[in-house]
Amino acid sequence: MSVPLLKLEGLGKTYPDTARAGRRFRSFLQLLTRGASAGGTRVLSDIDLEVRPGESVAVIGENGAGKSTLLKIVTGVLSPTTGVMESRGTRAALLELGAGFDPEYSGLENLRMNAALLGLSRSEVEASLEEILDFADIGNSIHEPVKHYSSGMVVRLGFAVVAAVRPDLLITDEVLAVGDESFQKKCIRWMEGYLDQGGTLLMVSHNIYQVQKLCRYACWLHEGRIRRSGDVFEVTQAYLAWHERKDARDRSGTSRRGGHGNYRVGSIEIGPSRDGVTSLAMGDELIVDLELESPDDRRPVAAVGIVRADGSPVYGVASDSDRFELERLGEKRFGCRLRFPGLRILPGGYHVRAHAFDPEGLRLQDTVEEEFSISGESRELGLVRLEHRWEAPGEAEIADTGP
Amino acid sequence: MNHHNRVLFRQLLAREISSRFIGSATGWLWLFVTPLLLLGVYAFVFGVIFRARVPEEFELPFVAWLAVALWPWLAFSESVLRGSQAIVSNAALVGKVAISRELLVLSSATSVFLLQMVGYLLVLLVIQFLATDVYWWALPAAIWVLVLVFALAMGLALLLAAVQVFVRDLEHFLPTFFLLWFFMTPILYAPAMLPEPLDAYLAWNPFTWVVNRIRDILLLGEWIPGRGDLMMLAGCLGVLLLGWWVFRRLSPHFEDFL
Repeated sequence: MSVPLLKLEGLGKTYPDTARAGRRFRSFLQLLTRGASAGGTRVLSDIDLEVRPGESVAVIGENGAGKSTLLKIVTGVLSPTTGVMESRGTRAALLELGAGFDPEYSGLENLRMNAALLGLSRSEVEASLEEILDFADIGNSIHEPVKHYSSGMVVRLGFAVVAAVRPDLLITDEVLAVGDESFQKKCIRWMEGYLDQGGTLLMVSHNIYQVQKLCRYACWLHEGRIRRSGDVFEVTQAYLAWHERKDARDRSGTSRRGGHGNYRVGSIEIGPSRDGVTSLAMGDELIVDLELESPDDRRPVAAVGIVRADGSPVYGVASDSDRFELERLGEKRFGCRLRFPGLRILPGGYHVRAHAFDPEGLRLQDTVEEEFSISGESRELGLVRLEHRWEAPGEAEIADTGP
Repeated sequence: MNHHNRVLFRQLLAREISSRFIGSATGWLWLFVTPLLLLGVYAFVFGVIFRARVPEEFELPFVAWLAVALWPWLAFSESVLRGSQAIVSNAALVGKVAISRELLVLSSATSVFLLQMVGYLLVLLVIQFLATDVYWWALPAAIWVLVLVFALAMGLALLLAAVQVFVRDLEHFLPTFFLLWFFMTPILYAPAMLPEPLDAYLAWNPFTWVVNRIRDILLLGEWIPGRGDLMMLAGCLGVLLLGWWVFRRLSPHFEDFL
């Protein structure tokens, strides 16, 4: 294993209390005499992270989880309160569009200044000037003061300089969201090329698709701690599922089980499960075992649906429309087993929703939910994998007209 | 300073200097006009209105006597005041880009110092032509004194810039303090003109030594260094090291308090 470019061990950050002048002065004296100040708000704790050359790591998490603070520490703008950070090689950060740009100066002058801030010498800047201007692609505006620039132009110029610097470790915050579609694509292309040539990337993004496309590893920050880290697909799926569940909770409030005492879902079991957790791979079989209670011993109708963790429906089916009759298990108890072989829904978090209807299949009497997840790597979009095949144009005709 | 920081320092310095003139129609002309106007104002106010006179033993025109001491002071006080603002006024940069923050202080303080030095040279030329002889061959000794002043200014600028991040009140206090310091230094008057108990304190003011020394060098040609130079060297280096140490110790925490 190669030596990491960046290594964080037990890193923590506490922002000091700076609102009152008295506290500031006390912190000042403490820092001067002891090199550390007491008190404050804790925003990061126990962060362990390693970034090796050639790796690409995404930091994801909710707003306020500490992502930007972490990036600032990694960049060297902020110092950690506890723990150690070791780093090698050159680092360049795009934390904010046009950081260090002076609005009074022209784009060209700012470009030179920015390149110097990132460590390029004057001759290196001159050598790559053409390339930078080409990449930024803002034409003659380069001679205008930056205060007349749109935010998109500023980020173009900022990114173009970083692209010319080619640092060992590139650190980006949510900055590319500003540029227009074609520039974003250009940046992504550049980053892919940079990664292919052995570059190392640490990025913060809320765009999970972009994260999955660019990064191989992800690190999910939750309330200042690492909640999960590892393979990008595993972590992003867990993160998205968590988000969807949170959304669904926010929307539906507490009314989960609306049993009216008539026909009820007695029990639901989904499988195959391990330790009470159902996790399938794409293409596995999902089995749902249901037991319904019927107060008048008449045969109820069961319906089963699969919904995404955010509540969007994927598929639903009822026993009466399939002309299936539930098995009588005992007095006032009926049961069934529903199989979904070769389940082709995309990786993510899901629920099985089971409903009990009256024997006429008209009135919904009860609903229960059970969680499961589909794991796997996929960059496909949507809910399900549709059968598909890629072919060269005209291939079908050749096959048709064959001997 | 490593190579990268040297490149960056030059770039920051160039930006600081050009930012003084950006947007004004005549631009660089003001670099020469401002000192001459200032010299004219001082000559008028103190020479004509107040009828200030140089102590008799010197037999020098007042304007020359004043100007030789005034410009080192202007360079010193302006560069300290500007340097001490450098971190707070560049807060956006400090929070986004990882650079050696002392470069921000040193570049803005140095830029002011250099601009005043250009003015000083111009003023000395004017004095040569309109008032009295300047001992040009003693210029190396004057430069030595100015280097000491520069070191003192950098040390104080670093110290105050670091402290200012934590104690914002300094911003309001410093200009007044420097005004008092100006009047407590024998720039507009001769040390002998101070009343009895006060003149003893003048010896404690390092700038008294600077003012007297640079007048001796440039107007009287007395350039031979003495014990004062050594003490001043030790003092300036001491302040520079202290400023550097405090700045280095506090700079990792700037972003927390900006």
